Amino acid sequence: MTDPRPLRPRRALTVAALAVAGLIVLSACSTGTASTGTTADAEPTAGGTITLGRVASVTSFDLNNEITANNAFAIDKVFEPLVAFDADGKIIPWLASEWTISEDGLTYAFTLRDGVTFSDGTELTAADVVFSLERHLTVGGPLPLDAPIGSIVADGDTGVTITLTEAYTPFLAELSGFQNGIFPADFQGKSETDFFADPIGTGPFVVSEWDPAGDLTFAANENYWESGQPYIDTLVYKLIADDTQLTQQLKAGQINAIDEVNSADVESLKSSADITVETVGSWEIEQMFMNTTNTYFGDRNVRRAIALALDRDGITQATTFGTAEVANSLIPPTIASSANDEGYALEFDVDAAKAELAKSAYPDGFTATLLIASGNSLRAQEAQIIQESLSKIGITIEIESIDIAAFRARFFAYDFDAMLNSGQSDYPDPDALVSFQADPAGFSKSYWTSYENPDVTALLDEGRTTADGADRDAIYLEIQKILAEDVPYIPLFYPSTLKATSSTVHDLTVLPNGSIRFQDAWISE
Amino acid sequence: MVLGVVLAVFFLLRLVPGDPARMILGERATPESVAALRSQLGLDQPLLAQLGDFAVSVFTRGDTGTSLVYNVSTRELILQRAPVTLQLVALAVLFSVVIAVPLAVVAARHKDKLVDHLVRIIPTVGLGMPTFWVGLLLIILFAVTLKWFPVGGIGTTPWDPLRSLVLPALSVSLALTPPLVRSLRSELLEVFSADFVTTLRAARIPERRVLFVHILRNAALPTLTLLGVNVSYLIGGTLVVEQVFGINGLGSLLFSAISNRDFPVVQGVALFCALSVVMISLLLDAAVYRLDPRMRRA
Repeated sequence: MTDPRPLRPRRALTVAALAVAGLIVLSACSTGTASTGTTADAEPTAGGTITLGRVASVTSFDLNNEITANNAFAIDKVFEPLVAFDADGKIIPWLASEWTISEDGLTYAFTLRDGVTFSDGTELTAADVVFSLERHLTVGGPLPLDAPIGSIVADGDTGVTITLTEAYTPFLAELSGFQNGIFPADFQGKSETDFFADPIGTGPFVVSEWDPAGDLTFAANENYWESGQPYIDTLVYKLIADDTQLTQQLKAGQINAIDEVNSADVESLKSSADITVETVGSWEIEQMFMNTTNTYFGDRNVRRAIALALDRDGITQATTFGTAEVANSLIPPTIASSANDEGYALEFDVDAAKAELAKSAYPDGFTATLLIASGNSLRAQEAQIIQESLSKIGITIEIESIDIAAFRARFFAYDFDAMLNSGQSDYPDPDALVSFQADPAGFSKSYWTSYENPDVTALLDEGRTTADGADRDAIYLEIQKILAEDVPYIPLFYPSTLKATSSTVHDLTVLPNGSIRFQDAWISE
Repeated sequence: MVLGVVLAVFFLLRLVPGDPARMILGERATPESVAALRSQLGLDQPLLAQLGDFAVSVFTRGDTGTSLVYNVSTRELILQRAPVTLQLVALAVLFSVVIAVPLAVVAARHKDKLVDHLVRIIPTVGLGMPTFWVGLLLIILFAVTLKWFPVGGIGTTPWDPLRSLVLPALSVSLALTPPLVRSLRSELLEVFSADFVTTLRAARIPERRVLFVHILRNAALPTLTLLGVNVSYLIGGTLVVEQVFGINGLGSLLFSAISNRDFPVVQGVALFCALSVVMISLLLDAAVYRLDPRMRRA
């Protein structure tokens, strides 16, 4: 066969090369530049947009029917509660400027702040508060108003008196949650659906554009009660489904804030001059839960042996890159009455662990399954470290990793031996967390462990009705001591709430529940 | 076939463990609120009743139902998300063709020489690399280091989508190109040695014309069919690339819908993919018919 004659550069190849070159030139012409930090002005400047990347979109503003963070932290920009909590978890005045609590702890009299209006200019009155709280009581919802409320009465236009049927110390903390925000009485005559499609609240922002499966744009509320604020004009919640992409887009300057940061990226972000990392202690506790109805984990000595065999310091360091705090108790130090520094927790000691196991009904060890939700590489690592640690005392752990929906279906059916999961408090009162995790009559039956201790149950009831102070602290310390001895679950660490912004963004307030307050935020040049 | 796919997805979704209402409200929500949501979403209806509602919705509104998570009609969601994915796929096909054709031609003309071996080995290596990894590498090199392209998302100005899709499309084409190169190269080799080519050359027709008008057209047909089959996989298969590049297209919609057990959306995307496969097959048949005079005569 004869060789084909040599050809001049083929047209197709030339065209292709030109096309690709063209695309490259085009893109090089319009690259984004990362913003460089400048010395921060002491005075906030007005204007600008903060674009916050988040992994989930906002699907609803119906606050009484919501619980998940994707909606909660949009709701709290539009609706505000009577009282709020600050970055340290302390209850502070908000829509109520002051309040009194009767001696017997049954009557709460709130005075509404002067000059608060809804975003459309109508004045906030006591009738709105009464309507909102009563609606929550009627609806119930995923985060119901648990307080034993007897009556909610308007006291003129600016006072609201709430009377409880029995003392309930967590009441103010409960009221500070986003789910108890205040909306206009009667939904201003609109249907609920219409009202929540275009919500009107007293909050610093109003919804301007909203794609339930995409981005949400807030505009500043011109009628906000902190006059002159918020300083920024627009706040955008941008949907970026992948958490690696969040960091990438922030670094590239495509967005100027992100709602979560992989702990592995924290060091590299902190060392970047263009980026500020904000961190605050959260209300979350990463734990290993044991099903006490299981043959092996029903044995207290087995559970204690496991607690002694785990190096919680090592696990925290390895899986959170030093961004979390080691947990020595159920209640994190960001919530009152935490026993984190009391030394109740069983400390890492392999010999003691073996001795403890020898006292149990299974001194030669056994095999059990540790259930985790897939898609979380840090949790997978935790599981592996636990597997390794427990093998040293003769317990063989098989790790079962399944997709999150299936994972939930399993443990909701109490079909697990042990699992790794995260406990969380929705408001700054120890009762919320402890009741959920230690009350056998609660719907989860002690966080699905079926743990039951009448002493703890009695203390829980007492804690709920005792006024804040040294006596109440003592009750929760006692509960935590018993839990540390019985170990139905082993608190491993308290993850930090991590956010990151471009260094031109200033004065965000990051809250321990994971939300951000933007009222004081401003953007420098 | 489309009906089979849709029915299979419908039943599989409901057999797999996981409760959509629980996924929407999370672990700490009270059982009462979850039950109320299940009821509101019609999930406590008997299976056949749900199937009936679904059928009615598809045939009267062309919609597989309202998304359980977003409370928006699935049809609207798909219409919103599909364009980006289709653009991504189209761009990937373009890149694949632009890369594959010259490579195959060069390899075929220099059969068994070094360049031929390189062309055959390198794309195959590319085929072995996981798409998400390739995507991440491209981001690191072209977006983060060289800053030629955005790291992700599809931007807001009119030019942005095109720029933003270059790297994702390249990632996808890396998987698409090797089979095309191999197929086209072997077809070309067959055609090179055909009698009609020798005749054309003997008639002193310019080599470029011989190559483009005659050889490629004849060699392209089987490769075109191969391309069509591969593209069908892509419509729902861009899932990984969309996640890596933060593109809110059909793939990422499907991914989150499956995780959340958002039945109507999974059903809708499955239906859309099934219909796309049928459409692409038809287009392919039409293209082959047009390109191959022998089909017309038959």
